[in-house]
Amino acid sequence: MTPGTASSAGFPSAGFFDELVRDVVRRPEEYERLGFADCRLVIEVVEPTGEVRRFGLVLDGYDIRSEGEIADLDGFHPEVVVSGALDTWSEMLAAIAEHGFADRSHTLNALSIAGFPLSARSDDPIGRDKFYRYAETLQTLFDSVGLRAPAEA
Amino acid sequence: MANLAADLDYRERASRGELDLGWLRRSRAEWGIRAEPSRIGLTLRDIAVGTYGEVPDHPPRRTMAPRGADIPDDVPDMGYTINDKSEVWSDNVMELYEEAVSRQWSATRDIPWGDLAPIDPDLEHAMCQLATVLSEVEMVAADFPAKWLWRINHDFVEAKMFLCTQAMDEARHTEVFRKRALANGGGLGRATAVVEEFLKVILDAQSYDEGSALMHLLGEGIVLSLFRAGEMIAPSDVEKRIFRLCMQDEARHVSYGTMHLRYRLQRDPSLAEDFHAYLDRGEALMAVLFTTPEVVEPATILAAGSLEAAAALGSAASDVLRIQTVEEYLQRCDRAGLDRRGRMHLPDDLIAGTSGVAPGGVEAGASSPGTTVAAASGGVA
Repeated sequence: MTPGTASSAGFPSAGFFDELVRDVVRRPEEYERLGFADCRLVIEVVEPTGEVRRFGLVLDGYDIRSEGEIADLDGFHPEVVVSGALDTWSEMLAAIAEHGFADRSHTLNALSIAGFPLSARSDDPIGRDKFYRYAETLQTLFDSVGLRAPAEA
Repeated sequence: MANLAADLDYRERASRGELDLGWLRRSRAEWGIRAEPSRIGLTLRDIAVGTYGEVPDHPPRRTMAPRGADIPDDVPDMGYTINDKSEVWSDNVMELYEEAVSRQWSATRDIPWGDLAPIDPDLEHAMCQLATVLSEVEMVAADFPAKWLWRINHDFVEAKMFLCTQAMDEARHTEVFRKRALANGGGLGRATAVVEEFLKVILDAQSYDEGSALMHLLGEGIVLSLFRAGEMIAPSDVEKRIFRLCMQDEARHVSYGTMHLRYRLQRDPSLAEDFHAYLDRGEALMAVLFTTPEVVEPATILAAGSLEAAAALGSAASDVLRIQTVEEYLQRCDRAGLDRRGRMHLPDDLIAGTSGVAPGGVEAGASSPGTTVAAASGGVA
């Protein structure tokens, strides 16, 4: 997979995130073991053209819902927005697909720790801190890309 | 002390089967109350119904009786010294307690210890030293709540329960870093006077206000940043998982500290100067931490991947960590209602590149490439 191109079942798309959250249905015991969570999160993808696309995820108890592509960011009331260029997201997903999980330098935390190439921004540090409070749940969710068959990834 | 002599008349009546719960019918309990469980189960928020959900600002009694129970006049006074709700409360404390219970993990079971493999001796030394420091500092965050728990009025039981989860979290952190130091051939490294001084300041705090500001807001904020950095620079997936799981717990404690300070200041803004004074003192020690080899070198070597590469990396890695730590701390202070910008007690070199620089102070040009100064972006990043 070439970074910067669409990858992992059409990333970025609502379909990609719909498929992502199906992992919670497929492996409920994995997520229940990590504990419940409560967060409205937006994944923001900046295309090479400068176009910004946003996808909503809601962590609600033991469930995670995909809310599709978000046109009205404020209307979604996100507690935290994790943002980065398409190249960065694609490279992260490629690393997960290759290793089966995010390697040392491609976890959500590692990519966002300096605010670059991903950033976790929020109007409220309590919302930003939720990105840390649920780090293992979110990483498990994205790492599920590594569990897919090669044709899917 | 109340007269607690055995009631032999009652024993006689009870032996004859004269049991009618009549004494209970005279109680003021809300008979008929029925809390409904939510989707994740029956939470503290779910049972905060009727008068049971009313946490008094100033409880009239100092007993261990459950809030809402009928309390006879002759129960002893427990002598609690923290009897003002705002001294310990935060609006998110019930949810944080539930989250803490739900997200517990085991340092024995949930870490893939069997995957640890021999690594370069310099990296093993660095990892073990970092584990030593973290094992050293984490237990104070159990000792501090334990020191104050028995002084807190039992009507604030949800806050006490949250502090109990924190003690358990910190015990696990102490455990997991001790285990890591001993699990791969390195062993424990070196303790430092400055770290111990910082822990002593927290433990010796004259009030819960002082200790909570120093520990929940400042100290745990720094450790949260260290955990985040640790996850990134971990030499293997074993340490990566350790740091990520610890990060989750620590962020919960920091969220309590932030919202507790906010609750406190909203009800008594005149305390702001007291909190500034506590943090003035704490930040002075934070400055020393940022220049202590036992803390700085392990992180730099792990970030670089080797001792040689660390020399080339210089302070770039620690600058990223420093700026991120300071920015997130300032943002949490803001959220709590305490503006520390312009009055932080850090030397110019350590405050450079952050929004904590006083007007006319050091330039932000020292910021490392790729770091962000959140104040410039409107939100927090």
